[in-house]
Amino acid sequence: MTHWKRVRLVAGWEFRRYFKWKDQLIGLFIFIGLGALSYGVGKLATGGRRAFTVATEGFELRPVPGSRLSFVPAPSDTAERTRQLDEGDLGGVLRRRVDGSFELFVEKDPRFLMDLRGILTEFVRRERLGQSGLSESSFESILSPPELSVRFTDPDRQRAGLPERLLAAMFLGLVIMSIFTSMAYLLTGITGEKQLRVTESITAIIPPQAWIDGKILGIGAYSMATIANMVLGGIILATVARLTWDFPIPDIIVRPWVVMILVVFSTLAVAMWNAAFAAFASTIDDPNTSTRTSIMFLPFLPMAMSVSVLRDPDHIASRVLSLFPLTSPAAMPLRVLLSNPAPVEIVASIALLVLTVWLFRRLAGRIFEVGMLMYGKEPSLREMVRWARAK
Amino acid sequence: MTEPLVRVTGIGKTFAGRRAVDNLSFEVHPGEVFSLLGPNGAGKTTTVRMLIGVIRPDEGRITVSINGSTSSAMPPLLTSYLPEDRGLYREVPVLRTLVYFGQLRGLEKDDASRRALQWLERVNLLDRRNDRVDALSKGNQQRVQLIASIIHQPRLAILDEPFTGLDPLSQEFFLDLVRELRQQGTTIILCAHQMDLVERVADRVLLMNKGREILSGTLDELHGRLDARPHVRLTFEDGASADVLRDDPDVEDLTIDGETSELHVRLRNGSSVSKFLARAVTRSSIRSISTEPPRLHDVFVRAVRDDDVRQAGSP
Repeated sequence: MTHWKRVRLVAGWEFRRYFKWKDQLIGLFIFIGLGALSYGVGKLATGGRRAFTVATEGFELRPVPGSRLSFVPAPSDTAERTRQLDEGDLGGVLRRRVDGSFELFVEKDPRFLMDLRGILTEFVRRERLGQSGLSESSFESILSPPELSVRFTDPDRQRAGLPERLLAAMFLGLVIMSIFTSMAYLLTGITGEKQLRVTESITAIIPPQAWIDGKILGIGAYSMATIANMVLGGIILATVARLTWDFPIPDIIVRPWVVMILVVFSTLAVAMWNAAFAAFASTIDDPNTSTRTSIMFLPFLPMAMSVSVLRDPDHIASRVLSLFPLTSPAAMPLRVLLSNPAPVEIVASIALLVLTVWLFRRLAGRIFEVGMLMYGKEPSLREMVRWARAK
Repeated sequence: MTEPLVRVTGIGKTFAGRRAVDNLSFEVHPGEVFSLLGPNGAGKTTTVRMLIGVIRPDEGRITVSINGSTSSAMPPLLTSYLPEDRGLYREVPVLRTLVYFGQLRGLEKDDASRRALQWLERVNLLDRRNDRVDALSKGNQQRVQLIASIIHQPRLAILDEPFTGLDPLSQEFFLDLVRELRQQGTTIILCAHQMDLVERVADRVLLMNKGREILSGTLDELHGRLDARPHVRLTFEDGASADVLRDDPDVEDLTIDGETSELHVRLRNGSSVSKFLARAVTRSSIRSISTEPPRLHDVFVRAVRDDDVRQAGSP
């Protein structure tokens, strides 16, 4: 039997051990449900489109088109005014002092305050405009900023907007999530096999390198499938949000080569950290008692460093991060989403990453070979390095 | 004599300064049941791990010759190994587990499935094929484990402590299975502590202690070599104590079983059993009597003790 046939066999087994359609569907529904819930809660928290009525005393305010605020004269009877405030018929009572300032009486925290400030600013500006004797057109001309339009020679180099940045942040989150999902399953899977004493049965049949390669692929594929399921949920949510609310979806995401780059880098990231973590997990007998499980947070560090790419994707630091294999799986896709890195940079980054994955898997195979048959005392870092260097 | 299937020549292995296996040599011939015996820490598992190629010997040589090809470890597709530390994926159904192990052993999926179903029927587990492994009793899990290791009909099988944790009926079942495998042409290396069971199935044994061979040969050879003295077991009607026989001129060693009050008497070399019994009946009335050659258990215990004493005395 060839090495890759064994790897395919193990990968398929590992994938099917964890992947269950029923679980994925439940996960999808939960994701969509939580997304819809958080959207709804968010809407409620920001007040949604709820209308408020504010009573004015001593002056008159005109409603602004599209605003959720309407204005009525305040009741002259104080008791009636208080009753309307208490029962929520009025959002507030606005009184103007003699010095021209305003005073707002409310029963609870006014969520319309920002809107009211805008309307009052406009009201006062127009009031002063009337007093200055300037015509309205002259006044608008003085206050309006000069028009400046920026035209890019290469439209692709146009500065990324908020939707692109949100997308980049989401991608970073998904890569981190897929790495940690894989790592969690590797830890429980491998230590579980050691505890169930499956190890010797398998190592007597196939070489450790084939076993670890199969695990890296199978469990990696499972975590990627889980993340793809979440992405599907996100697409459903975004589509619904777009139908009900003008949710901006960056057009960059529908470009096939961008999608391909995102998939390639995230796959390589999962493979690289899976290899490292499979070797590490093989040296642990019981994750409940081991003091080393905190090491699983190690990949978070280079991923967190890549966040700086969000600020300036073309800075020299961002360019270095997008080439260094531990940070490139996050940094390069972010640059692709936010800027337009040269193709040679992308190719070099992928090549370095592939090389690192290959190196990690070879070293991991050697540690795995010894670690999987070792029970009791956990090996020191020095011992693990010695195993990795052994031929 | 046929060409040996396994030839082990002077292998040794040291872990962190401790000699786990020391200059061990033996041969296993086609079609035989060869038993590797020894107390805990004797080096059996290390020897087996070197045979299957999981670890390499520091010195010496292992040659496995099957189907005209020779290798330095057991080729996994033609051999099998049932480890002492055994386990299966608990949450996976029985049939799927067996098909996976069959495929790992080089079988096509359909063939592995067909063989798995045949074996499950043979061990009365066909109706449990879709149950999770952890839904089976320990004995049945052991049966599934054994099927997983022999599903590809190996030429050579190593069974490490296959009787451990089994009830007497399951032990009998495993003994029958070992015999059946041998009839089918599978050569078996059997590591076990249950000497009475090994005695019933093994052709040859090798006894290890502290990494070295201390005895080897057929069962008859071992019995003859170690202890040819007559051995008598008897109980008295009136519960008389061992003292009534202690001064008998032919008695070399006498012990009493605390639970059954049975006396175990070892006579001196050249003693006559009938003369001893004739004297014994005059001293008290005998309820039961049996004579037997020394059992493998006795051979094992005596040989290991002698070796421990010898090693303690050596500089």
